[in-house]
Amino acid sequence: MAKQQYDQLSPEWFQPAPPNVGEQEKINRPSLTFWHDAWLRLRENKAAIVGLIMIIILALLAIFAPMASERSYKEQNLSHAKLPPKVPVLEHISWLNLDGKDSNGVDVYKERGIKEYYWFGTDDLGRDLWVRTWYGTRISLYIGLLAAVIDLFIGIAYGGISGYYGGRVDNMMQRIIEILNGIPYLIVVILFILILEPGIMSITLAMVITGWTTMARIVRGQILKLKNMEYVLAARTLGAPNSRLIFKHLIPNVMGPIIITTMFTIPSAIFTEAFLSFIGLGIRPPEASLGSLVNEGYKSIQTYPHLIIIPSIVISLLILSFNLVADGLRDALDPKMRK
Amino acid sequence: MARYTIQRFVYMAITLLIIATVTFFLMKLLPGSPLQNQEKLTPEQKALILKEYGLDKPVPVQYVQYLGNLLQGDLGVSFQYDNRPVTELIGDRIGPSAQLGFQAIVFGTLVGLVLGIFAAIRHNRWGDYAATVIAVIGISVPSFVLAGFLQYFIGVKLQWLPVAFWEGFKYTIMPTLALSVGVIANIARFMRTEMLEVLSSDYILTARAKGISNAGVVVKHAIRNSLIPVITILGPMAVNLMTGTLVIEKIFAVPGLGEQFVRSIELNDYPVIMGTTLFYSALLIFVIFIVDILYGIVDPRIRLAGGKK
Repeated sequence: MAKQQYDQLSPEWFQPAPPNVGEQEKINRPSLTFWHDAWLRLRENKAAIVGLIMIIILALLAIFAPMASERSYKEQNLSHAKLPPKVPVLEHISWLNLDGKDSNGVDVYKERGIKEYYWFGTDDLGRDLWVRTWYGTRISLYIGLLAAVIDLFIGIAYGGISGYYGGRVDNMMQRIIEILNGIPYLIVVILFILILEPGIMSITLAMVITGWTTMARIVRGQILKLKNMEYVLAARTLGAPNSRLIFKHLIPNVMGPIIITTMFTIPSAIFTEAFLSFIGLGIRPPEASLGSLVNEGYKSIQTYPHLIIIPSIVISLLILSFNLVADGLRDALDPKMRK
Repeated sequence: MARYTIQRFVYMAITLLIIATVTFFLMKLLPGSPLQNQEKLTPEQKALILKEYGLDKPVPVQYVQYLGNLLQGDLGVSFQYDNRPVTELIGDRIGPSAQLGFQAIVFGTLVGLVLGIFAAIRHNRWGDYAATVIAVIGISVPSFVLAGFLQYFIGVKLQWLPVAFWEGFKYTIMPTLALSVGVIANIARFMRTEMLEVLSSDYILTARAKGISNAGVVVKHAIRNSLIPVITILGPMAVNLMTGTLVIEKIFAVPGLGEQFVRSIELNDYPVIMGTTLFYSALLIFVIFIVDILYGIVDPRIRLAGGKK
């Protein structure tokens, strides 16, 4: 049976196919750019995606929650002081402790006849902790953003110029960095606080002075490596000016390390602001920062634990999410991880 | 090596000089003077007091005098603590801080190394994931938050350990734990990365090919070579520990340097703030200097790059 079938096959049917040039070389699937590839790898990383979503949620809350509430972050209402948290719907789930009962199990809202809901409770001056917490988160996010901007502008420019021009310029600029690096950030902040007032301004200025040195070092190292490559020589031969070489050819190729460094700067800047506010060098009441809220919470850790627990959770989640995303980006962008 | 050491030493000196100079001129800018109740004093008394503090001389002379005093370890006197010399205050308070820092660094380094090595050996298995999660949380939760939770659950709820104060070894356990979590997390992450890199290098493959047991490869070859770069994070870690002691001592009411520093900030006691600031800077810069030298010794590439110019 099978043999019969074979017999029916005629040799004429087996002609060499005409070579269709180009067809074999055709790439059927779209080529992946570096960024697309990195995004695919980042998407695989569940922790990083969870971190990214948490950052978005926290940022939205920080931006809109204080706007949506009719209470302001410094509005005091002594008759509503020291209320435990109470949230509609969730108040019926007893283990969440969001039912408006204090640590002795007394429903304070019913006792004082308060109809309103304070989702995160109130502090000892009757300020709404919901608004204060998200207001503090705004400050943390501002600090994170600021750190990133400083890194991106001063750090890249300084490192780029230093690495690209080399020689005496590089030597001078590196000596300055080494000295700046030796001066601890905390000390710069304290020096600023002595002249200015403690607050967001002193932290900002101290960051402008010391926050970009790591980035500058990394960019310089990369530029030193890249500037002797052939494609740079080719562009130079075509008459490209220095600025074009730096910004169009070198910086885009250093983008990977730049993004990773920026992403690691953000959580550490957020932590530093919280730490400074905690010891009284940063944001001071009535302004609210997550660090100063935790500090205030310590005073009543046994009687009103919600005052310390809520800001503690928010600051930890915020730093954790940024760290997760930074870790994920490092794994996605680092060529060494490609396998 | 000598050239490299001298170079690092000069940087250390310049950095310290800059910090001291900035500090001095800031003190000159600050409002207030040591003359309290100025209206009641006669001009002669004023002149006498100014002379006593050396304030009758022009600023450049004062600056030179100030630097001379610094070299002799004289940091001025406190406004708030009955004119006590700042050096004496620091001397009184340094004990508990040093003990805390030492305990935290020893405990944290040991646990961190074990955790990092464990994670690397169990790469991409649950042990690795568990260690990584612990490390990420350890880096993300600020020490002042962690200290609060320890204090509340172990101290207040379970009553296993004293909540605060400084009256014996039992009192040091919780602050040490709170302080060392950052160290553990940093060392573990760093060690894991280093170990993974070393484990995938050719000489490890050679060792395995020669038939050395897995334990032998890890202990004799991998761990030793991974330990070298850990030296580099000792500098940043010293900074972490310093900022850590500030909050931890405040939270656990430890009579250390950090607690006093935070209180002087609250009281605007400028000479103590500046003196302690200088002391901390000197300490940190010295640690960085030592780390640079150590690294130059273990890694010849560093000192060659440094001394070539």
